[in-house]
Amino acid sequence: MNQNMLHTPEGVRDIYGEEYARKLRVEELIHEKIRSFGYKDIQTPSFEFFDVFSKEVGTTPSRELYKFFDKEGNTLVLRPDFTPSMARCAAKYFMEEDIPIRFSYSGNTFTNLSSLQGKLNEVTQMGAELIGDGSVEADAEMIAMLVQCLKNTGLKKFQVSIGQVDYFRGICMDAGLEQETEMALRENISGKNIFGVEDLLKECNISDEHYLALLKLPELFGTEEILDKAAELVSNERSLGAVERLKQLHRLLKTYQVEDYISFDFGMLSKYNYYTGVIFRAYTYGVGEAIVKGGRYDNLLKKFGKDAPAIGFVVVIDDLLTALASQHIALQTGENNILIIYEKNSFDKALKKAISLREEGKFVELIPHNNIPTEKYLAFARQNRYSGVFFEYDKEDAKA
Amino acid sequence: MSTERYLTFALGKGRLANKTLELLEQLGITCEEMKDKNSRKLIFVNEELKLKFFLSKGPDVPTYVEHGAADIGVVGKDTIIEENRRVYEVLDLGFGKCRMCVCGPASARELLQHHERIRVATKYPLIAKDYFYNKKHQTVDIIKLNGSVELGPIVGLSDVIVDIVETGSTLRENGLEVLEEVCPLSARMIVNQVSMKMEYERINKLIHDMKKLVKAE
Repeated sequence: MNQNMLHTPEGVRDIYGEEYARKLRVEELIHEKIRSFGYKDIQTPSFEFFDVFSKEVGTTPSRELYKFFDKEGNTLVLRPDFTPSMARCAAKYFMEEDIPIRFSYSGNTFTNLSSLQGKLNEVTQMGAELIGDGSVEADAEMIAMLVQCLKNTGLKKFQVSIGQVDYFRGICMDAGLEQETEMALRENISGKNIFGVEDLLKECNISDEHYLALLKLPELFGTEEILDKAAELVSNERSLGAVERLKQLHRLLKTYQVEDYISFDFGMLSKYNYYTGVIFRAYTYGVGEAIVKGGRYDNLLKKFGKDAPAIGFVVVIDDLLTALASQHIALQTGENNILIIYEKNSFDKALKKAISLREEGKFVELIPHNNIPTEKYLAFARQNRYSGVFFEYDKEDAKA
Repeated sequence: MSTERYLTFALGKGRLANKTLELLEQLGITCEEMKDKNSRKLIFVNEELKLKFFLSKGPDVPTYVEHGAADIGVVGKDTIIEENRRVYEVLDLGFGKCRMCVCGPASARELLQHHERIRVATKYPLIAKDYFYNKKHQTVDIIKLNGSVELGPIVGLSDVIVDIVETGSTLRENGLEVLEEVCPLSARMIVNQVSMKMEYERINKLIHDMKKLVKAE
């Protein structure tokens, strides 16, 4: 046999057994919560035309996309994230709809990352999008729902950090910065690199107010009181509007009773260019990156021909699982799994038992006895977390 | 949030680590275990302050920090640019100052003027590529070396090199000189994105204390 056939390519992996049971359970727990807010499931194709994920849409950089061609020579792309597909769907099927649409989705996404960084190129994402509702109430629903989703999986120590892209944009526009400078600033500010910002600003001819505000941005994060501090730094309408929006949002999140998990970060600027207003990320111990990313993207649908505001988030299921495992948070799996070991002549008896257990809703596996010592079966059952093992032997009947 | 958790520091082996420990000591953060030069331990713990320290090769520091295996790292700017990891770069520590430069024999100066295709030997292919492609708009062949890069032009492997220059004495002794400066460098403190949020108070205090010290020096 060719040993090489057993390997998977770098960046992808098999998930099976207990681990996969945990994964499905987490998806279930999150899905449950999302559904309770009235979100409807939607499935989109794994690959789409390149244009859906192009530079104008502002998603993953082109060189990180898996690209291939169809028979007519069109460039196709394995989806790197769901949001553009959701926007496309909303525009295509709900063009005339005025009533807000709620989508929920889950599936695998693909990014062609550079090798040897210990990161997966295929991950499972689950998320929700609320399209056609631009209100602060919609922002609050998204963030509160996210907190409830994470709590539902058993996660306790996590932080949702909320930013507002308009705050930064407002300052840049008011200062009349060029787009190139804005991009460079964006990178340095999201990296919390104050001296990087300082270097960039030295070359620009801007007022003291703008200079100070931009220089402060990398440090402008924390709890509620940071909102007033942010307001003091600026005088342009757009930035002040952004702060006001976050204040309203904070009030609503208190009503949802999720404010303990919330902090604010004005220096959080996503690499996805389509975000326009509120953006947020959830962090927890055990994973080096955010496990949830989300935000408002009011201009994205316009690119697909429907002018509607929208907000959404996505949970990276694989990262969440890593976090749960490293924090030793148990997930209930396998409580219904039962093993019946039978000897050939006792099959009828074993089957009868299996049928009645299956009717009770148990998951029953029938295994013919094969001269393996009983201990080995028991060890197997323990390892795979079966809740019960029955032995239907010709002579004796035992339960473990 | 929790005070139970250890904050882990990854320090780039050598001078950077020693200088960092000196700074930390001024803040009352010490690690006696680490001063024992004969110790074969890989990780050092300060139980009182709930801190852990480990030394690693410079280029690995951003990797540890990006994955959250270390909360905080200290490493040269050159490494940060070259490794291009997603970490917060929060503080210029002010020591380890030097420059990233294009160097070569004086005769090579001419080659940098005309967008000519030349060969560049370097330990920093990403930095070299970015400089020549995006700033100078010159197409170059990059040859990755792992040490003694100065040899490149001397033995005819490359036309110029891109490397760190501190005093320039190695260059002069070998008949090379600085032709162009790419960027200034110094030691930086980097922080994992999640740690910054989850351990905000402890890390922020540390950053502020360090900043005061660095300014005073």
